[in-house]
Amino acid sequence: MRRLISFFRLFAAFSLRHAARHGGRTVAVVLGIALGAAVFTSVRLAVHASIASFTRSMDFFAGNADRVVVRPGGLLPEETLALFYTHPAVRDYSVVSTTYVRRQGEGTEPFLLIGIDPLLDRTFRSWRIEGEGTKAIEAWLDLLREPYTILLTAPLARELEVDAGGGLALEHTRRTARFRVVGLLEPSGLALVEGGRVGIVDIATFQELTGLHGGVDRIDLKFRRGVTPSEIEALARELPEDLQLGTPSAARESGTAMIRAYQLNLSVLSFASLFVGMFLVYSLVALNVAARRRELAVLRALGAAPHTLFRLFLAEGALLGGLGWILALPIGSVLVRYLLEAVSRTITTLFVRVRVEELVLSPAELSVSFAVTLGTSLIAAWQPAREAMRVSPREAMDMMTPEERRRKSARSAALLALGCLAACAVLLPLPPAGGVPLGGYLAVLLLFLGFALLSPFLLERLASGLEGRLSRIAGPPAFLAGRAVRQGAVRTAVSVGALITAVALFTALVIMVYSFRRTVETWVRQTVSGDLFVTAKMGQVNRFRFPLPEEIVTELPRLAAGFDLVESRRWPLQRGDFPYEFEAMGMETFFRHGDFLWLEGDPEALRPRIAAGEGVLVSEVFAARTGQRTGDRFQAQIEGSLVDLPILAVVRDYRTDGGIVFYSHRHFRERYHDPRWSGVRFFFREPPADPEGELARLRRAIVAAWGDRLDLIGGRELREAVLRIFDETFAVTTVLLLIALAVAALGIATTLTVLVLERSWQLNTILAVGGSPPQIRAMILWEAAFLVAVGEGAGLACGFLLSGMLIQVINRQSFGWTFLYTVDWASLGLSLPLILAAALAAALPAVRAAFRLPPAALLRQR
Amino acid sequence: MPDPEATAEPIVCARNLTRIYPLGAGTVTGVAGLNLDIARGEFVVLKGPSGSGKSTLLALLAALDTPSAGELTVAGRRLSGRPPGDLTRFRREAVGMVFQSFNLLPTLNVIENICLPALLAGRDEREARRRAEELLERLGLSGRARHPADRLSGGEMQRVAIARAVINHPALVLADEPTGNLDSRNGSAVIELLARLNREDRITVLLATHSDLADGVATRRLTLRDGALVSPPCGD
Repeated sequence: MRRLISFFRLFAAFSLRHAARHGGRTVAVVLGIALGAAVFTSVRLAVHASIASFTRSMDFFAGNADRVVVRPGGLLPEETLALFYTHPAVRDYSVVSTTYVRRQGEGTEPFLLIGIDPLLDRTFRSWRIEGEGTKAIEAWLDLLREPYTILLTAPLARELEVDAGGGLALEHTRRTARFRVVGLLEPSGLALVEGGRVGIVDIATFQELTGLHGGVDRIDLKFRRGVTPSEIEALARELPEDLQLGTPSAARESGTAMIRAYQLNLSVLSFASLFVGMFLVYSLVALNVAARRRELAVLRALGAAPHTLFRLFLAEGALLGGLGWILALPIGSVLVRYLLEAVSRTITTLFVRVRVEELVLSPAELSVSFAVTLGTSLIAAWQPAREAMRVSPREAMDMMTPEERRRKSARSAALLALGCLAACAVLLPLPPAGGVPLGGYLAVLLLFLGFALLSPFLLERLASGLEGRLSRIAGPPAFLAGRAVRQGAVRTAVSVGALITAVALFTALVIMVYSFRRTVETWVRQTVSGDLFVTAKMGQVNRFRFPLPEEIVTELPRLAAGFDLVESRRWPLQRGDFPYEFEAMGMETFFRHGDFLWLEGDPEALRPRIAAGEGVLVSEVFAARTGQRTGDRFQAQIEGSLVDLPILAVVRDYRTDGGIVFYSHRHFRERYHDPRWSGVRFFFREPPADPEGELARLRRAIVAAWGDRLDLIGGRELREAVLRIFDETFAVTTVLLLIALAVAALGIATTLTVLVLERSWQLNTILAVGGSPPQIRAMILWEAAFLVAVGEGAGLACGFLLSGMLIQVINRQSFGWTFLYTVDWASLGLSLPLILAAALAAALPAVRAAFRLPPAALLRQR
Repeated sequence: MPDPEATAEPIVCARNLTRIYPLGAGTVTGVAGLNLDIARGEFVVLKGPSGSGKSTLLALLAALDTPSAGELTVAGRRLSGRPPGDLTRFRREAVGMVFQSFNLLPTLNVIENICLPALLAGRDEREARRRAEELLERLGLSGRARHPADRLSGGEMQRVAIARAVINHPALVLADEPTGNLDSRNGSAVIELLARLNREDRITVLLATHSDLADGVATRRLTLRDGALVSPPCGD
């Protein structure tokens, strides 16, 4: 204990006072760490809140069933229930169906409507009606016996401006119906699903509204006490072939599995700012060790043990990390509000529907962020602390640090860098571990480390290579700057490493996002082609499970003279944990107006075979996730049919994070059963003189015939919406990138300022022997130019390598898709000079610091 | 005793020269109303205890600091109230400085250190090198031209610093404790070198020191105490 107190006294006197004396640089580094930690923490909190909201919803919805029975790609016939009435293993059973509805009127938000049997469901899910006992029982009985009665959660009732006893009209795909609100739900259990935007109706009312007579989404089962696994397996075998017995958590697990890759990639990206901040901590602690070498030698001469010095600097790193984390909390609290909305919107768009009502400050997430921030700072301080440990007491008598040591460090760092880059090449091709591209992430880390380690060597080479030429062109300031850079290459390399990391990330993500966008644009133009898209009302939100009514299907072609129609039907299916869609579409007509983005196979030869129904096309994601390739057979149970077809080709598709399988609509009907239409797209048969007018005419005709029973969207409108969603998805990435760049600029500012302050005697000597203040300012700016040139040049090279790794490895392993590699020269050409200017501007505090004290005073100190 | 060969026109002329530094709420007087004339070609030794104002006076003479009051003319140029550009030109052309800690730039080798003032002044590089090589020859360091500055011994470093101080042919060399970090043998060699430059190149030397090593070569000795001269400014 006494030792600990002594250590803290020494730490306070030696380290804290020094930090306080050099408050500016300490604050800059703490701010850098704080920004990094704030980004890391808020991204994790935002994703965690979305996942927590999703899993909570799924858990409340799943209730306490032991198993669920479903029919992939279709509805379960109610007769299936008969199987469980007397089954020895089954104690209770209940039916559930869900769909999205909305209040009648323009621009109202859909909410989840759950259809249950209020009697059977009591043992499965917890939900309670507000009010005194009799009133609640009355409401429950009304729900059971009266058609078109509904229970709403209190927040939803407020939003819909309705109270218990009131009425409201709800729209669904098939029809609009008037409901009576019989009661409000207490905020617990089922009422918390989807952030409380939920209504409960009796299953009969549900079927009446949706037209799904005699069918339910699933049957929940509870087993008798002591039932054995073999009895459960026997039950599964007794079910008809097209039914599946699964666990109630399967949907949750499949949803969270889909989000996991997104979460991981966002976490890694958010860690980048902290990683850049780590360079700052390293930079400051290393500079302190170097600048205070003589003091360290004196401490050693006075009896301080090497490990005491080691702990002093490690504690300095911990202090910077700790303060940074504390400062990150208020910064993060602002950032998280923006991120929460952006992240939950992206998850809803790409993966599963989530609705985050509140942000929970998860102690686990806060602990992770504290541990990562502190750990990062400790790792950053480790090497300089070891350097401090090696200071010999004899150095108290030395005048200068030998030049030889610097040269040796730059060479060994370069060798280490080559080792890192070689290891990167080895790790990159490794397959993902449990769906996580671990090898890829490690390779990225080694790539950054490799380039950072290479920077002293690059600085030395650049400075010595340009020295003569620059000296002739720009005079002594450039010559002196080159020499100073060569001298301090190892120490400044850390900040250059931070800049390399930030520029590399920027370059790589600009290329990746641009490549992705250009590929998606091509995909949208070719595959999402069409002049008008028509689906059943609320088709999108209900995942196209409700086909268009037959009378509409029959009448539509009559209204659309001059148009080609491409009908389609989509089914959401599942293979293990992997969700995908099967789409039957009018291939012959489609190929006349649009195309796929072919990844494998010869399109010319394949189009006729696809149109002739010889086999299916699978998306790249489907192929990557299932391992199925061209030549394999695709098999799935869809409604009542077992689809078994060869895979003819692989195509790019970016509709969802899940996969997609395409087949001819006509041949599906001929081979299996009538798939009906869940949507149809219209193409002008010939380009009209007035396309907008023609489309408006068609829209008017459809609305006149069927009112608002259909959702209509123009082709251009849809394609623009797809690209807008894409841009919104990557808005978070842009914010994270800008923060990483800001942290790197802080690094440049801190390093240059510290270097200038440390060399103030040199600068004033130059002044004393005839240098002018403008020459000294020019020299510092030239130094900054060397650092920034290497940082940006190496960052650019590193970024190009990284972009290839992200597109070809990390994305493929994380999400299953790749894109056509396209470099956004315009954005890079515009932004890189801006980064260069910003990093040079970061040298201005250093320029000011050079003349903070009069030269005479500094000479006297020396 | 003044040098009989010294010209009558003073190279340094200070009248009521004062430098007061703010320190916290109060002030510290570095130089207090000093009057001093130094003739061309003199070798003046300035003595005094630590804190007596020797370094402050040298900094004022080198235009590294500005006086709080009084008039100062060095090498025919009035230094009070001059813009920074004029002061830079003055340092390039009129004075050379030698420091106790040598202050060689560790990033440059020996010849580059010596050439630095010439390059900063915009002189021709080849001409500067030729002059630097000449000086190295005279200082007995011709074999060390391309050595890193931080690999030299203390005596060698100070000789290089002296060469740097005189490369631009200054009229006045200001040396602040140039032997303070040297042993007596190297200290004597440095003083001898400054004396040679004074004799052969007619460079005026003002040397601030605690040591007696220069007493034998000085043409005049001055003593400073509390920022004021305690011995007569002219004559000895």
